[in-house]
Formats: sequence, structure tokens, C-alpha cells
Amino acid sequence: MSLEPGVIRDDEAKVAIKRGAAAPAATDPERWVDEHGDVLYRYALERVRKPEVAQDLVQETFFAAIRSYEKFAGQSSIRSWLCGILKHKLCDYYRKRGRETSFTDLEFLADECAEKFVPEGYWVHMNGPKEWRPEADEVMHRDEFWKTMRDCLAKLPERVSTVFMMREMDEVESKEICAALSISDSNLWVMLHRARMALRECLAMNWFENPEVQD
Amino acid sequence: MPNPRPPDDDSLFQEHRSWLQLQLVLLICRFTPTCPEVTRILSLGMDKELPLTMRIKLRIHYLMCSFCERYAKQLKYMRSVAREFPEKIGEVSDAKLPAEAKERLKEALRQ
Repeated sequence: MSLEPGVIRDDEAKVAIKRGAAAPAATDPERWVDEHGDVLYRYALERVRKPEVAQDLVQETFFAAIRSYEKFAGQSSIRSWLCGILKHKLCDYYRKRGRETSFTDLEFLADECAEKFVPEGYWVHMNGPKEWRPEADEVMHRDEFWKTMRDCLAKLPERVSTVFMMREMDEVESKEICAALSISDSNLWVMLHRARMALRECLAMNWFENPEVQD
Repeated sequence: MPNPRPPDDDSLFQEHRSWLQLQLVLLICRFTPTCPEVTRILSLGMDKELPLTMRIKLRIHYLMCSFCERYAKQLKYMRSVAREFPEKIGEVSDAKLPAEAKERLKEALRQ
């Protein structure tokens, strides 16, 4: 095996693949780019909001995939495996940025939709949450819903959305998020609360309570 | 509503009963968190296990506040759709890796 870091020859890769367990059909990395490149790019773009950064992350993902293909014994689909690598790369990206720029206090200030409540501490009756129809497993089949959700996520302040997506989509543990971003527990919980509150409002207004959608 | 009041019944007990209901609601108000507080607690509860006493208080709060009960359900709803988002946005979005970026990537992978 070549000892040069980062350079894996095709023949070595093929040997490694034969040695590995049940290898799926698409073992050619170039095919991976065609089949999964756009999908990875789309998610990365939602996370980092900058096309060049998203492209870099996708590139790093493929390089890491080639290097660790031996360990991938076919336990999941190629696509979920690649997505898993991308999520790690995203975490590394945020960890690096966390050190360069610190979260300002402004991002932690409570802004939890105070106008949705009356001073006595209850929901304003007319604007309180209404029932959401249909159930989650049904709404997931509608493409328009995902576009709405994407637009709602894009409205969140960047750091707040980062934290929400790391927690809910990458399923990173709270402790790890705090460590990666150098924030405290309470900072994290304030941001998650803001994210959930704002996202709920946005989805309610633009989807679940929108007469144009719910016909 | 159990034991509905007959229309011609104006006994003192019935008047007492709505006063009792009012007192119960006021007691619940004093004993349970406010709705803004409940939304914060529910968010926390998505990531940490809440103590039993708090979970009981929330259930009591829901007796008089269906908004907060819905909020709790909707937090879970959002969690289940969020889990599917990475894959779904990959299918639904129309963003594309620029062609030359793809070529550069394939070139780099060939080495």
C-alpha cells in the first residue's frame, strides 16, 4: 500500500474493495460524483449558505470517502454513508469557525416571540397554535412542504439555524455541539428554543395555517 | 360535561360549583408555569429529561391550556420532519454542483 497520505491509486482501491465485504455496484468514485454529488451539495448549501464553501465540503467528503472505503463494509447505502461523512465535515467546519469568531451576546438575547403572549403569561387566544394536519409521515411526501421548510430555515439567523440543524438533522449530542462551537449549555438552549419557536411560527403561517395550501 | 345543570335549577350549589371551577383554574394558574415559560421548558425537554414534578406540572397546565399541549406535539412533529430534511432536500432542491467543479473533483479523484 502506498504510504503517501491523500493519494490512493485506483488499483489499490480496487484491491481494498475486493477485500472489503459485500461491495455494492458503484465502486467507481467518479460515478459517486455523478450519482451523489448534487445531493450532498444541496444539503451542504442549506447548512453553510455559501456555494464555494459547500463545494469544498463536498470535495472533502469524497476524498475522505475514498480513504476510508475499506471500513465501509456495506452496512448502509453509499448515499447515507457519504451523508454521514459530510455531517462530520460540517461539524469540523463549524468547530474551526467557532475558534475564529465568537458568538456575540446579541445572538443569545431572548427574542422569543414575546408578542405571541399576553402580559399575564398566556397565548394571545387568536394566535395560539392550531392543530397541524396531516400527520408528519404524510406531509413528508409533498415536495412543496420541503421547499417551505427550507425557506423557513433560511429565515433563521445563521448561528441559530446551525445549532438547530446540528441537533435535529445531524443528531449531534448537545454536549458535542457546545464543545464544537465553544458555547455554554444555556447559550445552546436559548438558541434551540428560538429556532424551534421561530420555525414553528413560520411553518404554521406558510403551510399548516395557510389557506392556499390547506385546501 | 358531567351532570349538566337542568335549565330551571337555580340552587345555590350550582352557583358554588362554577365558583369552585374558577378557583381550580386560578389554582392551576398559580401552580403551573406561564405559557412562555412552558415553551422554554418544552424545548429543553427535547434534549434533556425533565424531572417528574415538572412533567406533572405540564400535564396539569395542559388541562387548561390546549395551546401549550399543541406546541409540545408540534415540537415533536418538527423533529421528525427535520430528520428527513437532509435526504429530502437533496431530492427536491434544484441546486447543482457547477459542471466544472464536478470535473475538477473527478480529476482529483482519479489520481
